[in-house]
Amino acid sequence: MYFEIKDLQVYYRAIHALKGISLTVNKGEIVALIGGNGAGKSSTLNSISGLVQGQSGIIIYKDEEITGLPTDMIVKKGIIQVPEGRHIFPKLTVQENLEMGAFLNDNKAQMEEDMEHVYQLFPRMKERRTQPGGTLSGGEQQMLAIGRGLMGHPDLMLLDEPSMGLAPILVEQIFDIIFDINQTGTSILLVEQNAQMALAIADRGFVLETGEIVVSGTGQELLNDPKVQAAYLGGESEQEKLQKGDYYF
Amino acid sequence: MKTILTKSSKFGVVAGIILIFSEMINLSSTLAEILEKLFTGGIATKDVIIPFYMGLVTGLIVFFTTFAFLKKQKSDRKNSFLHGLAAAIIISLVSGSLISVLNIILGSYLEKGKDVRVYLEALSPDVIRAFLFQTDVRHAVMNYFLSTFLGSMTALILFWLSQKTNQPAKTIRGLARLKEKIQVGRIFERYPAVKTISILLVIIAILTLPLIVNAYTISVLGIVLIYAIMGLGLNLIVGLSGQLVFGYVAFFALGAYTFGLLTAPKPFGIEMNFWLALLISLVVAGIGGFLIGLPIMNLRGDYLAIVTLGFAEIVRILINSNLMADYTGGPQGIKNIGQPIQPSIFERYFGKPLEDNVWFLYLIIFVFLLILYAAFRLQYSRTGRSWEAMREDETVAQACGVTTSSYKVLAIVIGAAIAGAAGALYASRNTYTGPSEYAFMVSVNALAVVVVGGMGSIPGTLLGAFIIKGLPELLRDLENYRMVVFGALLIVMMIIRPEGIWPVKRRKLSVAPESIEVLKEDLKP
Repeated sequence: MYFEIKDLQVYYRAIHALKGISLTVNKGEIVALIGGNGAGKSSTLNSISGLVQGQSGIIIYKDEEITGLPTDMIVKKGIIQVPEGRHIFPKLTVQENLEMGAFLNDNKAQMEEDMEHVYQLFPRMKERRTQPGGTLSGGEQQMLAIGRGLMGHPDLMLLDEPSMGLAPILVEQIFDIIFDINQTGTSILLVEQNAQMALAIADRGFVLETGEIVVSGTGQELLNDPKVQAAYLGGESEQEKLQKGDYYF
Repeated sequence: MKTILTKSSKFGVVAGIILIFSEMINLSSTLAEILEKLFTGGIATKDVIIPFYMGLVTGLIVFFTTFAFLKKQKSDRKNSFLHGLAAAIIISLVSGSLISVLNIILGSYLEKGKDVRVYLEALSPDVIRAFLFQTDVRHAVMNYFLSTFLGSMTALILFWLSQKTNQPAKTIRGLARLKEKIQVGRIFERYPAVKTISILLVIIAILTLPLIVNAYTISVLGIVLIYAIMGLGLNLIVGLSGQLVFGYVAFFALGAYTFGLLTAPKPFGIEMNFWLALLISLVVAGIGGFLIGLPIMNLRGDYLAIVTLGFAEIVRILINSNLMADYTGGPQGIKNIGQPIQPSIFERYFGKPLEDNVWFLYLIIFVFLLILYAAFRLQYSRTGRSWEAMREDETVAQACGVTTSSYKVLAIVIGAAIAGAAGALYASRNTYTGPSEYAFMVSVNALAVVVVGGMGSIPGTLLGAFIIKGLPELLRDLENYRMVVFGALLIVMMIIRPEGIWPVKRRKLSVAPESIEVLKEDLKP
């Protein structure tokens, strides 16, 4: 098995954030994990990458159990997370940000190769490489965050809401790039609120609701699923949602 | 016209209150003394204040107030010279009468032979001396009015001159243009030889300095350098790894006491070799850092500050306590701490051995340069980079594979070890160490060194040490008010340069050889 989660449960003190979810990612796939706020999407990614500890369940990567390993071990194995909300190092230059992405990579030649690859994907980053990361625009910061993830030479990339707070045109660009990255052989587990875009590029998708997977299927199936349409693709008007009372922020 | 009247009288009241206040706290006469010293070459007598200098101080205060008023008026709307004149006269009259009222009240008491101190205990005899210029009330009042009037008139004339010639703005613009033309940084980058030579020159200057300055300057330089060493250590913790450690003095004390116990005849009588003891103090402080680092590595920000603050207090109280008196000397501290023996090489070169304080300053410079080098290497190493990443964003640093908790402890350990070395030097320099030297203020000063200079910037830290420990010495003439003035200066500095005096400049470093080519392209004229 390339990557599999079995019955993953996460508690934050009394809050039961993940109530036993199971999912798989095959080599070379894009898998989308969609759901509303507080559904447990980020918790899933954080417990895969080891940023959240103390979960129960089993996480298997390349036929090896990685549950509970510290983050640096997981990064070393090639699972790289790009945290949500454009987390970059604002005072470090673009180049230094990218170098931090290759922190555990001792192979300098490969690092330079990765850097070239990132610069090819994001020519903008090359222009601005001596500029502090904090001076970039929102879209550029997201690109930098993804670029930094790529510098870790990922085999499986965990993307946490890459479209968050970006203009529609930038969202499209970002998703194009995610697709390109996938084409070069990197598997991707994508967490998104923008279900439309995510499912459009995803091979398979899972819908999370309050810590549980409620629907799963291929990207196309989910796009056409009436329940998913209703809840995430704007099938209902805002007014109807308010009346039914399941509208939450 | 009416608005000018009210506005300028408001400014006059402000100026008057400043005048009264600075006389009440005796600041005016202190300033007058300093001015007198400056003009007469340091032969001012303590008891007599010449009215001229007292008037000069008063005039200066009114001068600045009037100038501020005129500047504010200018931004409001266009006003004629006559308006300005009227305003200046009003300001001088109002402030002059305010300060005169005080003088008349106190003066008439004195003339009747009553001592005002009976009613106002806080006033020192200096105050009364300052009030009256040591003349009678009428003369004093005349003098005050004259100086406030001259002050505001000078302000008016200067303001109009600067308006007509546009002078300060022109000069500043000219300087900025000059700075652009010269671009020191680029010269360094383009000609590395220039950089090497200038660094060598600076080192030579530092090395010859102890030989030519007097004993007082040597002791100031020593303390400045010890604080610079501490600043370098704390900069690693606060500036680079972003952990607000507030009780830095604890490690300083650990180093000093370890060194003291190892080299003093009492209480243990080990009297170890200087260098070995220095090394051991460094290690002990480092171990102290490790022990305190372990439980706090998961704390952030305020909590970390509080815990380390508590730790520093525990250390201070322990070394002060009777419980530990057999080992630490209690409140009396440790006396006769060993100093290193001067190597004979100096005697061979200079014909006679160097004075003890000069030789010790060289020693401090030596240790300082070693630690400076280490700090530079650390900052631009992989470890330094991961500290910076952690400071910027801990979650992402972790997601990049930085084991944040161990790097945090590492920062504290190295920073603590450096503080230990500084403490050992300090103890050896004074040949004494006692609990009173490790008060909370030392931590605050060390932190101020880092913050004022610019967090995470090594040259900034050195500059900060000069400002925090050197500047108060320069201000020593102000006596008790130097801390007031010093505090005001710090506030002004932080308003003008909120990122510190010498903030970090991101290094233009590239890995990809191709990028270096592009960079070279950029640097071509």
